Amino acid sequence: MNPEPFLQLDRLIHEKGRLAIMSMLAASPELSFTELRDSLGMTDGNLTTHIRTLQQEGYISVAKTYQNNRPLTTCSLTASGRKAFTGYINLLEQIVRQNKSK
Amino acid sequence: MQSIGIMQSHWAEENLQTIRILMERSAVYRRALAPIMLITGGIGTAATVVGLAGHFDSVIKFCAFWLCVALVSVAGALLVVRRQAGKDGESFWSPPTRRVSQALLPPLFGGMVIGLICMVTGRGDPIYLPSLWALFYGCALHSAGFFMQRGMKWFGWIFILGSCLSAYISLTFGQEMHGLAHWLMGVLFGGLHLFYGGYLYLTEKKNPVA
Repeated sequence: MNPEPFLQLDRLIHEKGRLAIMSMLAASPELSFTELRDSLGMTDGNLTTHIRTLQQEGYISVAKTYQNNRPLTTCSLTASGRKAFTGYINLLEQIVRQNKSK
Repeated sequence: MQSIGIMQSHWAEENLQTIRILMERSAVYRRALAPIMLITGGIGTAATVVGLAGHFDSVIKFCAFWLCVALVSVAGALLVVRRQAGKDGESFWSPPTRRVSQALLPPLFGGMVIGLICMVTGRGDPIYLPSLWALFYGCALHSAGFFMQRGMKWFGWIFILGSCLSAYISLTFGQEMHGLAHWLMGVLFGGLHLFYGGYLYLTEKKNPVA
């Protein structure tokens, strides 16, 4: 394993849009597609692409249901997604700590 | 080499800050508050007129009347929230809604119980109830403000200060002015909600609540 924390950062989460999605989901049990889209100011296509990438990696789960006869897509963080996100935060904190101790 | 470390550290700090902001935003209640405030204010103002016209001046009548008004206001607010949630295709009882309700509940419950005690025993003077209820309500809004945007904590403080002013007015002019308790209820629960609802209505379009 690379000892440099910066180089250990998960490249998948590292991307700005995906990191924002992961951050939002980390603070809420689940969020709807529209909530994520409106909060992050993303286009439908952009958000869909990021969600698909995170879903393929097993970081988030997507549930499609119906509410009042209207389709409702909700996203939530999986256990491995939460673990990866926590690891990412820990590495960022490690980078900050390392520089402060120098 | 050291400068790269400093750059990475700055970048990491900024990233952590962004993550923190996003996480806070995610946990925040996002329903449009302007319609809720305007409906509550409208009900409060209309109730003041009815209360004055109906001469609900005894403590029993006063408490019964305003507790019913409170129930109607809560039902109206919940209907608006439910309608908004349905329109956005989201669940009504979402985690942020649950958190806000949990924050509102203890002070509102306290205020309601005091009102019920006055109503059942028939003791006490209605003139002091607007201050007491506004104090409880202000505390409830302030607590809920931790999970909401748009200056809800400030609105809670305005109610708390309003309750202090109302207590002063009640003690000074309470015995001289007929129907003062209804007027105080109207100003506090009607006027303040309408004012805040109007402010939100005018500013929400420019800065949509994310």
